Amino acid sequence: MNATPALSPAHVSQRGALLLGLSGLTKRFGAFTALSAVDIAFHAGEIHCLLGENGAGKSTLCNLVFGVHAPDAGTMTLHGAPYRPAGPRDALTAGIAMVHQHFSLVEDMSVVDNLMLGRVRGVLDRRGWAARLDALGTRYGLELAPFARVGDLSIGERQRVEIVKCLMREPRLLILDEPTAVLLPDEIASLLAVCRRVAAEGAAVILVTHKLAEIREAADRATVLRQGQVVATSDAPSTEINRLVKAMIRRDLEGLDATTAATLGLEDESAVAAPAVHARPDGPDILQIDGVSLRDSDGALRLDALTLTLRAGEIVGLAGVEGNGQSELGLLLAGLDTPTGGRLVMDGQDLTGRTPSDFTAAGIGIVPEDRHRVGAIADMNVAENMFLNRTRAFTRFGLLQRRAMHDAGAELMRRFDVRATGPDARFGGLSGGNQQKAVLARELTAPGLRFLLAAQPTRGLDVGAVEAVYGLIREASARGIAVLLISSELDEVLAVAHRVAVIYRGRIVGERPSRPDQREAIGAMMAGHA
Amino acid sequence: MTMELFAVFLGSSIRLAMPLLLAAVGELVSERAGVLNMSLEGMMLAGAFGGAVGSWATGSPTLGLFIGVLTALPVAALQAFLTNTLRANQIVTGIGLNILVLGSTTLAYREIFGARSREAIPGFPVWSPPLLGDIPIFGEAVFRQIWLVYAAIVIVVAIALILRCTAIGITLKAAGEDPRTLERAGLSVIRVRYGVILFTGLLAALAGTFLSIGDIHTFTEGMTNGAGYLAIAAVIFGNWGVGRTVLACFVFGSATALQFQLPAMGLDVPNALLIMMPYLLAFLAVAGVVGRQTAPRALASPYWG
Repeated sequence: MNATPALSPAHVSQRGALLLGLSGLTKRFGAFTALSAVDIAFHAGEIHCLLGENGAGKSTLCNLVFGVHAPDAGTMTLHGAPYRPAGPRDALTAGIAMVHQHFSLVEDMSVVDNLMLGRVRGVLDRRGWAARLDALGTRYGLELAPFARVGDLSIGERQRVEIVKCLMREPRLLILDEPTAVLLPDEIASLLAVCRRVAAEGAAVILVTHKLAEIREAADRATVLRQGQVVATSDAPSTEINRLVKAMIRRDLEGLDATTAATLGLEDESAVAAPAVHARPDGPDILQIDGVSLRDSDGALRLDALTLTLRAGEIVGLAGVEGNGQSELGLLLAGLDTPTGGRLVMDGQDLTGRTPSDFTAAGIGIVPEDRHRVGAIADMNVAENMFLNRTRAFTRFGLLQRRAMHDAGAELMRRFDVRATGPDARFGGLSGGNQQKAVLARELTAPGLRFLLAAQPTRGLDVGAVEAVYGLIREASARGIAVLLISSELDEVLAVAHRVAVIYRGRIVGERPSRPDQREAIGAMMAGHA
Repeated sequence: MTMELFAVFLGSSIRLAMPLLLAAVGELVSERAGVLNMSLEGMMLAGAFGGAVGSWATGSPTLGLFIGVLTALPVAALQAFLTNTLRANQIVTGIGLNILVLGSTTLAYREIFGARSREAIPGFPVWSPPLLGDIPIFGEAVFRQIWLVYAAIVIVVAIALILRCTAIGITLKAAGEDPRTLERAGLSVIRVRYGVILFTGLLAALAGTFLSIGDIHTFTEGMTNGAGYLAIAAVIFGNWGVGRTVLACFVFGSATALQFQLPAMGLDVPNALLIMMPYLLAFLAVAGVVGRQTAPRALASPYWG
């Protein structure tokens, strides 16, 4: 990555030629309007950042440009000519390449095979493509082993394959839909350098993000979307961060929770205070994860003698790149999987090998990382989901007391600020934030709760909901509940936790106090440079 | 076992494995692309029926083969339409088609042949390659086969090479592992899947005609008798690889051949037990006893785009 010349946005003085113009672009999914009459111009040689909260319409816009969806109204022009892609093939032919939010790589194929997919006919020239990959890798600083199986690569390397796949097409427009969400800090820096390089070579880059640091570093221009509409644009985004954030979350920054501000990447701004540093509380040990190991069915070691002790009232942040054993640890702590070595001890009681209901009875609450699949049942209503673990409390003579459950549900919804039409509303119809608050309401009101696992609790939530979730986690900690916060967002861990443990390849490779000045040390540990 | 008996056993194993092999390798191509054709049995039966009728009516087994293929392709096309365009459940669709084909071939067979059901149908002549056919003991028993056997071997080798070394190979793999990625690479998952199902129909038809005009020169009602299911089991047994699938077909073929061999060798094994053998092996394979099975990830799930 060192070969790339530093081209800061300030050096790009004049506006390139108009490449892609969107005019009145509208897309509806059923009754939901994802994009509403959007006008944006993308210019050659520029990095144009699309900013917005989840559900603001950023991904929909990208998918329209890439031909995945067709617009319901409005037009697009490419190089001045009408552009109406019927599918990704048309977009690719027109010189548009896209890195999707979720990888589009076939895991069980090699890197070169993935690069050749859809590009070649007849007999495969694997050596020739490996050579092309090498040449491109040297040019952009994106080295990759051509014959490695993609499924064996790290997340950062897979992202590199995605980028190389796009660059091999020598696109005139490169779209990156939240490409940095899963990357380590130094991987993000290299990715932004590649973007600048691509733009400097005359292509247009659309970078979708909600991280302000990236905009500050890379954007030549920015457009803010909210609820499917353009609410702000900027020709000098690096100097107007606060205005853009205000437009994105539609509120003033002064009242913003310090933690939330830090998570957004606003810590340098004068408008917000630095997050408070909390001292580690002096409670008794609640949960001991004692040398726990887990082998999966392939025989791979997912957790490797992981040891961690949590005190009452303590929030421990577990930082790490996704896929280093966090999900497996979550399953073990929920009692959904049994460790192949080590012990889980809760309040002196050995829970190893016990059932999930034993775990719940011992005072363990779980906010799972996949709330759609494990945390709740989308087709049942809110009250039913809130009392799934306590139906017996609402049962008399074997019959479920629906009225009582309805009322208790309404009460919990009020206490935890779950916004829905009522306790009878279908859970799946709630917004992500309200779903998460409902799950938290269930777990935090469980009788005898001593420990809470919150796995990626704010993923996919907008700013207001993030603040609410942080508030609930802090409240729990103040009640003396030990909290393990698993998150791949380092800013979030630093802002919320009392101390940070770093997980790498199934082991705790280090612990640090939760202070912003530890950021680099923790980032290095996350990358395995302990 | 004497050499002569062994040679006969080998020859009949090959002959019994061939229809399985054609069908299984055809099914393998579909499954690599994410399609599970439960209708393989029905496609084979349609091919067997078409082949028999065609050969009987024209007097030429080669024309019969073509007619067999033409009879099976509509079944494949129907499977493709229902599961790709209408996105119906692949397994339910397949079983429904099997019942449909069993019923319609039985009806048509009775209508066409009626009382003449014992009538001989012209079948493929046997042939042996020069030199190989002259090997003592084995030459006659092993290599004297109909040309379809040799064609099948060529087809299997060609498919193995195509899957490994060509753009078609990675396209099929992507359609079966991660169809969305294939679509984003600018290719059509639906088109690929139509293609593979029709190809499976073609090979299943060859397998069916092998049964009716290659092996025993007659058609009987429901004569595939589970061979299609056995071919699907061979793909599972073969862990979705060409080499292991071929091996599985020969194991199943040999197990069937043993039915005829063991009595000849004077061993008293209950016949029902022997008939059960290939199915028992298949069952063990499906149950995952023979190593871990890694199916294509998108196998049997319709593509919604």
